[in-house]
Amino acid sequence: MVETKKLKWIFKKDIMVLWRHKPRLISYLLFPIIMITLFGYGFGGTVTDIPVVIVSQSSGPVTDATINAIKSESLYDVTSIINDPNQGRQMVLNGQDKAAIVLPPNYDDTQSSTPKNVILDIDSSDEIVSSALIPTTQALFSQLSNQIGVQQLQASGLTPSSVSSSTINVLSGNQSTILSNPTTSGINFENIVNSINFQVNKLYGNISYIDFLVPGVLALVILFSCMFGMGESIAGERERGELARLFMTPTSIATVVGGKILSKLVQETGRAILLIAVAIGLFGIVIAGSMLLTLLLLVLVALCFVGLGMMISARVSTQADYQQIIQPITLPMMFLSGVFFPVETMPWIFQKLAYLIPLTYANDALRAVMLKGAGLGAIWLDIVVLLGFTVLFFGLGIRGFNRDI
Amino acid sequence: MKYAVETFDLTKNYGDFTAVDKLKMKIRNKSIFGFLGPNGAGKTTTVKVLTCLALPTSGTATVAGYDILENPNEVRQKIGMIPQMVSLYGDLTVKENIHMCADFYGVPEDLIESRADELMEMMDIKYAENKYVSQLSGGMKQKASVVASLIHQPDILFMDEPTIGLDPTTKRILWNLVEELHSEGRTIILCSHDMYEVELLCDDVGIINNGVLAAFNTPQALKDAMINEQKNVKNSKRSNIAKIVEEIQKEATPEEYAAYDKIKDHAEEENRDTRQLSVIISNLNDELFNQLKNLSITYNITKQSSGRITLDILDSDESVTEVISTIIMNNGIITSISTKDPSLEDVFVKVTAKKKEGGEI
Repeated sequence: MVETKKLKWIFKKDIMVLWRHKPRLISYLLFPIIMITLFGYGFGGTVTDIPVVIVSQSSGPVTDATINAIKSESLYDVTSIINDPNQGRQMVLNGQDKAAIVLPPNYDDTQSSTPKNVILDIDSSDEIVSSALIPTTQALFSQLSNQIGVQQLQASGLTPSSVSSSTINVLSGNQSTILSNPTTSGINFENIVNSINFQVNKLYGNISYIDFLVPGVLALVILFSCMFGMGESIAGERERGELARLFMTPTSIATVVGGKILSKLVQETGRAILLIAVAIGLFGIVIAGSMLLTLLLLVLVALCFVGLGMMISARVSTQADYQQIIQPITLPMMFLSGVFFPVETMPWIFQKLAYLIPLTYANDALRAVMLKGAGLGAIWLDIVVLLGFTVLFFGLGIRGFNRDI
Repeated sequence: MKYAVETFDLTKNYGDFTAVDKLKMKIRNKSIFGFLGPNGAGKTTTVKVLTCLALPTSGTATVAGYDILENPNEVRQKIGMIPQMVSLYGDLTVKENIHMCADFYGVPEDLIESRADELMEMMDIKYAENKYVSQLSGGMKQKASVVASLIHQPDILFMDEPTIGLDPTTKRILWNLVEELHSEGRTIILCSHDMYEVELLCDDVGIINNGVLAAFNTPQALKDAMINEQKNVKNSKRSNIAKIVEEIQKEATPEEYAAYDKIKDHAEEENRDTRQLSVIISNLNDELFNQLKNLSITYNITKQSSGRITLDILDSDESVTEVISTIIMNNGIITSISTKDPSLEDVFVKVTAKKKEGGEI
């Protein structure tokens, strides 16, 4: 039987405790607001505004119409229009853009029967972008192809009803596949109706969704493990009086913190190796780059998040406070960092925030090494930023470490 | 080194609340010092600051000759602490905890095992050395904590309510340890609410109240001071009342004069120096009881069914002798006799009676 008076007291007590722990209360109220804002504005719909570069090697009404058609699609954010295909490809390889749409030199030549080879150089390491960009672009050019073909047929006195399908060549790596090849009444309509050959050039080959997810998940696992672990390791030990036992001895904060970091690093590195092994064993993922560099990156990521956890737990006295405070930090970090949704497609304010988050750089570097096979030279900036965050977190953490019991 | 601890205007604030207020205190080297105070008086905060577990807001102190602000690590090396708010690692065994503490204090590797064994034997915890601390009872945890705190042989040992919640046997083990450490020349600073413990063990006692040192002396000197103070208060009251009455009597009629005399006598009676005597007489009868009641030095007498009588008698050595003589002359058999003097607890209650409002420290 429920005793109402006692039940009322238990309820009242919990509310009073929450009200009296202001940092916990603020975090408690802030967390749902942050999350709903993120999902409402950032991840509530389809992917849009993918940065693309258009390589236009021709000029004329068809080119203009095509560029306008691309620009009018909300999926694309045309960052620049250039005329050198190699430069466009390089921009994608550098990560400036997610894809380069390369229009051929004969794109505006509607009289010639030579097929127009449109190439989509795409950053296939980003599965979300690839899966949104390829079918949409393919459909767009298929439509354009039909329109150009219809114009040509009308110019020849034929009707569009005789057109049955379009030809799409999809280049994946070194493979090329002819999807259809119609001919009608002895007239080769192929060169008329199917005037555009659309080729997809996946710059990093075929990358499955699990391949795409593993680097981000690795970084996430390390983030959560380090953050929650440091709460127990410092705030928990402080709460139980175990930390005081160490601080009673002639021992510096740096030694105590150093020991905790070392232990956490070993644990996290071990766990990361295990996760990679399981991913390789069960899902057959392939690490395109150096395994050593991947491991070193994971150690750096762990170090960075241990620092973040230490910085927060150094100032709080109970585990409950710590757990509540890190919630509005870790979960938004997870969604803003590009692990699940591309940073480039987020609203500008979230993009700015994403670049203030170490997980973004961790994710970027790990994907570059594991999926693109990048070396140190390609990820040095990510490493420098992560090191910067690490130094900042440790500096603030040790400086603000509350040795008082 | 004359003083093990010396504080210089030591102050510790928590926000607007002053827990320790310009504390000046000197604790003799190689003494057992009892540090008393009501809850929230600043006792534990003072100990935290002296053991470098908290920084003072202002002022400083020397512990074992080292300044707590300038040489905190030297202080930490010289002291041990058996604290209330500190615990060993629950997921490590007793032995592992002790070895860890030994390494943190830099005890040479070849000495750790023998010292740990010796201390564990002394504290009667050796049999549990391989048990996890989380599996131990409160008393056993306290014993393990003592071993961990003494493994580096500190010169000064701080004990913050070390016997709270312990059974009498474990308490005695700790008291014996304190005496043994004292005999080895170590200074013990004992925070306690157990007045018996403090009277039993301590050479000096300091009572802190509202963050200020309210009393400091040997336990006996504090009690004597209280007796003298009580006497002085009564003397002063008697003298004042007598003066006032005599002044009034100068202009009084003979009838009024006699009435004022009665007032003076009553006031003298109320404020006379008395002491309480408790006697157990195995063959107490009414005649003996009345004899004692009618003595000129007896003011109040009560009888209990157990044969114990409690008398308020004139405070003089002769009074006690007169009571004993009367009992013996009436063939009474005395099985127990004691006088009730102010205890350290009385001193504590009096010194700490004035308590300002404040939160728990």
